[in-house]
Amino acid sequence: MTPSLPGASTDRRTLLRLLGLGTAATIGGATLAGCSKEAGSKGTATQADAIRAVLPTYKPAELLKPDIPGEGPIPDGYLSYPRQLADAITEQPGRGGPPINTMSPWWGPAPPTLGRNSYLAAVNAKLGVEVNPSLQDGVTYADKLNAMLGARDVPDLLCVPNWEVDKVARFSDAVKALFEDLTDHLKGDAAAKYPYLAALPTGAWEYSVWGGRLYAVPFPTDGPFALALFHRKDLLDSAGLSTPTSPEELHEFGRKATDPAKGVWAFGSVFDMVQQFFGCQQHWRKKPDGGLEHKFENPAFLAALEFTAKLFAEGLVHPDTVASKGADEKQLFKSGKILMFQDGLGAWQGMQGERVKELPSFNMQPLPIFGVNGAPAVIWGSEKPVFYTFVKKGLGVERVDELLRVLNWCAAPFGSREFELREYGVEGQHFTRAADGSPVPTELGRKEMGAQYTHIGGRVPVKVKSGDTPDYVADYLGYYQKNIGLMEKDLFAGIKLELPANWSKIIQPTEDKIRDILRGRRPVSDLEQVKKEFFASGGEEGRAFHEKALADNGR
Amino acid sequence: MPGTLAKGAVLTALVAAVLVPLWAVLVTSLASRKTIDAAGGMVMVPREIDPSAYITIFSGGQITQAVWISTLVTVLGTTVSLVLTVLAAYGLSRPGSVGHRGLLFFFLLTFLIFPGLVPSYLVVTGLGLKDSIWSLILPSAISVFNLVVIRAFFMNVPGELLDSARIDGAGEFHILVRIMLPLSKAVVAVVGLFYAVGYWNAYFNAVLYIDDNDKFPIQRVLQSYILAGQSPNVSGAAVSLPGVTAYPPTLAVKMAVVVVTVVPAVIVYPFVQRHFTKGVITGAVKG
Repeated sequence: MTPSLPGASTDRRTLLRLLGLGTAATIGGATLAGCSKEAGSKGTATQADAIRAVLPTYKPAELLKPDIPGEGPIPDGYLSYPRQLADAITEQPGRGGPPINTMSPWWGPAPPTLGRNSYLAAVNAKLGVEVNPSLQDGVTYADKLNAMLGARDVPDLLCVPNWEVDKVARFSDAVKALFEDLTDHLKGDAAAKYPYLAALPTGAWEYSVWGGRLYAVPFPTDGPFALALFHRKDLLDSAGLSTPTSPEELHEFGRKATDPAKGVWAFGSVFDMVQQFFGCQQHWRKKPDGGLEHKFENPAFLAALEFTAKLFAEGLVHPDTVASKGADEKQLFKSGKILMFQDGLGAWQGMQGERVKELPSFNMQPLPIFGVNGAPAVIWGSEKPVFYTFVKKGLGVERVDELLRVLNWCAAPFGSREFELREYGVEGQHFTRAADGSPVPTELGRKEMGAQYTHIGGRVPVKVKSGDTPDYVADYLGYYQKNIGLMEKDLFAGIKLELPANWSKIIQPTEDKIRDILRGRRPVSDLEQVKKEFFASGGEEGRAFHEKALADNGR
Repeated sequence: MPGTLAKGAVLTALVAAVLVPLWAVLVTSLASRKTIDAAGGMVMVPREIDPSAYITIFSGGQITQAVWISTLVTVLGTTVSLVLTVLAAYGLSRPGSVGHRGLLFFFLLTFLIFPGLVPSYLVVTGLGLKDSIWSLILPSAISVFNLVVIRAFFMNVPGELLDSARIDGAGEFHILVRIMLPLSKAVVAVVGLFYAVGYWNAYFNAVLYIDDNDKFPIQRVLQSYILAGQSPNVSGAAVSLPGVTAYPPTLAVKMAVVVVTVVPAVIVYPFVQRHFTKGVITGAVKG
């Protein structure tokens, strides 16, 4: 059946995906889904009004007053763990239905399965129905998803990361064919039946609509910024280096901090953050005279490219970053081999907490945002949920109700016993308590958890102070509150975009060309050529598509 | 002699290119956290022997289980593959066998036409193989390349030998087992090695067909260890995932898992090596 040895097909498909031939070449177009966007797909955009009409009525769950109230997409902050926990849910969600199979992504060693996992047993006992989770590798999730959707073989609850949605051909068709329309269960006041789902932010629900109907429960982001530029504040302080506040100072810092003889370089990957400092948009920006401007057309992009190419040319970037896409920059940063690199803000707490155990002075902080030549910086971000959870189609109204009740339990907010059980397991088994009452996971806890209920249930995001990172919550929320005003307005917020195939196809090759320019393999002047190729082979089509989506929504 | 020197230098460089990464993996797996942090990643110079990474992976259960599954898949799979391939190759190598040209054509056709991800998935799930270790074996049970190699070898065996056996009253099965196979030890050993390494490295089929963590083969587990804690990269921007990066395994643990996956292949190769050149060259060139 499979002519090649196992594993070989991955590369072939990557190649096909790159050529945009994925579906056509391997499947022939007759089946529902394939390996990439189908060639010839023009993309679709669902109108914002249609989306608003089907959203659940937002009703915040006020179980515990936050110490640092969040606003908009910024999560609430808590500076202590509550001594007294509340019962958020009094009635067991299970209705005696058969076991619930779920599938969700996980980035790490998989926990033991049902029957050998005391954490699952404890949560299932509370739920009153057996949930049987299957954790799949997050990195290859799209491969698995493509095959499952194509073969119409989906579990009762399926969790799909937002970035995988773009990789699946005709995803909206798959949604309609395979998943339950949740509109009647959750639209408007109907959502009050599932109070913790109704407490999820409206901004996240907006993205869960396909073809004007509500199809998924969102897992809202706990921080809308795409990236931050982290620096080793402890090392900068001890070396007497001040925090850069302009591109010139950043360059100067690079020259002072880099010392190849000691194995220290100033920078890892920084280009995305440099673009933001220079005020460059992530994708599109509205032109004053109408129409959309792509970032390649913004002079700020060229300036950022020139600046970053200079950092590479002068040898201020770590050789691992220069050589490979997959450089382990986290490890280099932890070891002080690089002093600055860009990463998602989600990486912050884990890294700080882990490293401070051996190096008490370790202090990583996002670099304060600065603009260039008096112009303000722009921060990339969006309220797009991290995951969507879909319910299998055709299970019947009662079963869907049971599944939503389970999801409601999984969304129980901070301050409840349900939250503690879900996030930390059983006291004495999966966690012990620190002096301040906060849970500290045990070895068993780390092994058995795997966010098996968290990733499917949405949950209202919160930031809670923990013993190993005492300053983190205030630092994190402070950074957000200070900079949220700089976040680029998502022109397409609330509009469901399914991008045209030609557009999706040119992204990676163009990024590779830009990588070459940064690393000095092509001169910066080649940007003109890259731009020309980009707009000719899908860029213009993408522009027309995006402009139409805005026009259709009267924006 | 400059020629010999140059040859030596090239060979040394080649050997180093293979051995240095293996060395770094081994040393890192035995290094303490402190040494790894001091080195900023992979460790080249051993400072101590710290077996804690190995203790961690073998006390957790998952690695032990995965090694067992991979061993089972490798042994069972190689046996199944060799039996099927040898039987098919023998049949296809006998000029008189029924429909052998048509059959051979169909076999060769699979070189050109890949069934596609979804059809393969449908067949495997349709046969009820999902979540069974047979899903790692049956879809790749016959490699047409190996089949062609063995067939070419069989065709090379002098017909007189077989005729004399027939005169002595031997049937086809007897001929295959008593005459063909003893003459083809080299090629069978090499093809067996190909199959075994393929099964030991089985990864993508496991991603597709195995949902149950207890049935993951070692490569699938290795991948989850190596990439643990890395944020998924989406068009240049890392996605922040709450909770995901909380407890990634240490580099030493990751490298210890690499050692566990690599060692069996490293051990097996030298034993089959003496057959290697002979088996492949004879099978591939003649016929």
